[in-house]
Amino acid sequence: MRTLNLGIMALTLASAFLLYGINYDTRLMDQRLQDKERAIEQARGDIAILKAERAHLARPERIEPLARAQGLVPVSERQLVASPEEAVARALGGNEELLTGSVRGN
Amino acid sequence: MDASASPRLGHPHGGQRLTAANRPLRTLIAMLVVLLAFAAVAGQLVRLALSGQSELSSSFAATVDQSFARPDIVDRNGRLLATDVEAYSLFADPAHVLDRDEVVEKLRTVFTDIDGDALRKDLSDRSRRFVWIRRGLSPKTAQAVHNLGLPGLDFRRELRRAYPGGTLAGHVLGYVNIDNKGVAGIERYVDEVVGVEAVQGATLAERAPVRLSLDIGVQHAVEAELESAVERYEAKGAAGIVLDIASGEILASASLPEVDPAYPSMSLEQRRADKVAGSTFELGSVFKTATVAMALDAGLVSLDTQVDVREPLAAGRFTIKDLHPLGRPLSVAEIFIHSSNVGAAKLALRAGPEHLQGFLRRMQLLDPMKTEAGPVATPQVPEHWREIETMTIAYGHGLAVAPLQFAAAAGALLNGGNRMLPTFVKHPPDAGHVNVPLIAADTSARLRELMRRNVADPAGTGKRADVPGYLVGGKTGTAEIPGPGGYRKKAVISSFLAAFPMNEPKYLVFILLFEPKPTAAARGEVLAGLNAAPTAGRVVGRIGPLLGIMPAGRTLSVPGMAFDATSPAKYEAR
Repeated sequence: MRTLNLGIMALTLASAFLLYGINYDTRLMDQRLQDKERAIEQARGDIAILKAERAHLARPERIEPLARAQGLVPVSERQLVASPEEAVARALGGNEELLTGSVRGN
Repeated sequence: MDASASPRLGHPHGGQRLTAANRPLRTLIAMLVVLLAFAAVAGQLVRLALSGQSELSSSFAATVDQSFARPDIVDRNGRLLATDVEAYSLFADPAHVLDRDEVVEKLRTVFTDIDGDALRKDLSDRSRRFVWIRRGLSPKTAQAVHNLGLPGLDFRRELRRAYPGGTLAGHVLGYVNIDNKGVAGIERYVDEVVGVEAVQGATLAERAPVRLSLDIGVQHAVEAELESAVERYEAKGAAGIVLDIASGEILASASLPEVDPAYPSMSLEQRRADKVAGSTFELGSVFKTATVAMALDAGLVSLDTQVDVREPLAAGRFTIKDLHPLGRPLSVAEIFIHSSNVGAAKLALRAGPEHLQGFLRRMQLLDPMKTEAGPVATPQVPEHWREIETMTIAYGHGLAVAPLQFAAAAGALLNGGNRMLPTFVKHPPDAGHVNVPLIAADTSARLRELMRRNVADPAGTGKRADVPGYLVGGKTGTAEIPGPGGYRKKAVISSFLAAFPMNEPKYLVFILLFEPKPTAAARGEVLAGLNAAPTAGRVVGRIGPLLGIMPAGRTLSVPGMAFDATSPAKYEAR
């Protein structure tokens, strides 16, 4: 019986150490998890700001004068064709000048 | 001590026997005590979990929840219109502020507009532990304040709404308050329908973006053309709507002068009020579209029915007359194309007040309307529908409606006769749209024909709205603005109701110019045919290609361009 008691005590002690170790590892992992979550939150915040900045820079009100300064104009109905053949025919046969992209023909 | 060993030790006393007999009982009692103790602890834990903790957490949350995380708002193509970004908010703890004057003076170097007296007063109250100084600071400004090294000041990270497009679609988007809670426009819809998350600090929302029906490209084109028109015709303001007449989706809604959602105080200026949905106007002759539709739909007339419009109509102390009388009877089609007030009034009289009222109610022009951006301004309906009201409403006076509400009715007149509910939110194609017929499809077809003729016919009032290939149709409206003691002379709202392509209309464009001047560009007139119609033509020419509308009947020899930056008067010359 005494042996059994001693054995149980030893087992208890071993369990306590094991539990302590697991607890320590868990806290460490929890800390790492929190660090990762903070990093994710920070990255999300940065992405949000970058998204907003990109949209701000790409706003039509800003792009239009820049594009016009480059000699570009808004797309017109002359640039819409029903088929590639029609586009080629227009480019080759018509009196109209060929428009490339949105560049205005002079 | 082992109880079973006792008899072998040879102590045959009665007390010893009693002890040995009681041992299981004592063990049982000890175990019960321990169990009860554990049960008490467990019970307490359960009690806290069920009641106490929720009270604690809610009171904690009430003090710590600082703002609301909102989903992004994007246009129909996913381009960003509004988003949350992290910002810094500066606060002070008066108990830790050492020198109030130093704080005020140093802060003034960063915030030049700070109210020093008010801040000094706030900081002198040592019983307060929290005083907001400035919220929503940029990282740069926050760093500048941090560099001042003032004790008692600290920052909190908060969410702040950013509108990267600036004033683009400002009236539609609405705005949020300092706590990032939606107050007006789509922002309010986001709060009420989509949902926002109360958060501590600067935690971004994880909800899917709210996809609007607006198209940033179309919205910008409309705003830019309206801005040009305001300049060209020296107007006090302008408004424009582009609607998909099949689905009711609004692709653009612009009102000038514009507002910036980031500066809500701008919305309080009367001149910046939303002219699309937030105000009602007597719209003038564009209303003849509804009058003629009513007469056709009721079978009272056909397009060829002749109406005698030679004499002005007496209506009480008023006289209804035409601006350019032709001195002969006009067909219904001619009444529309020449915009005859007398003709429209006679058509309404032929139907009668009750019929006209019933028709306008069916077309959703008399009852309040609501969109996701909020309630549309309630129509101003006459108290009594007598003959005189019937006659004036026939040509757009005596009944004031918001342009958006009229556009919705006009869309229904042109889309085959089905009810159209304007919406600012993009719905999936399989959203289960149900057609509710309001007028006969044949009436709708006749109306399209009339509107196209009004633009294509050299005598039509809308001829300056024509755009090669886009088969534009439309109706002009020049409405005098009521003032004290009657209508103001030369103060008008010029409007043009357009749709294209008229062989199968997809989009409706409604342009309004408020109090345009008789400039040289409009040949010294304030008529809609000379200012609103060419503006509508420019808008159609610019948005048609953006919307992928293939020009009809275009040939290689057509020299015209829908839009050309180098010749702003192009449409004026046609």
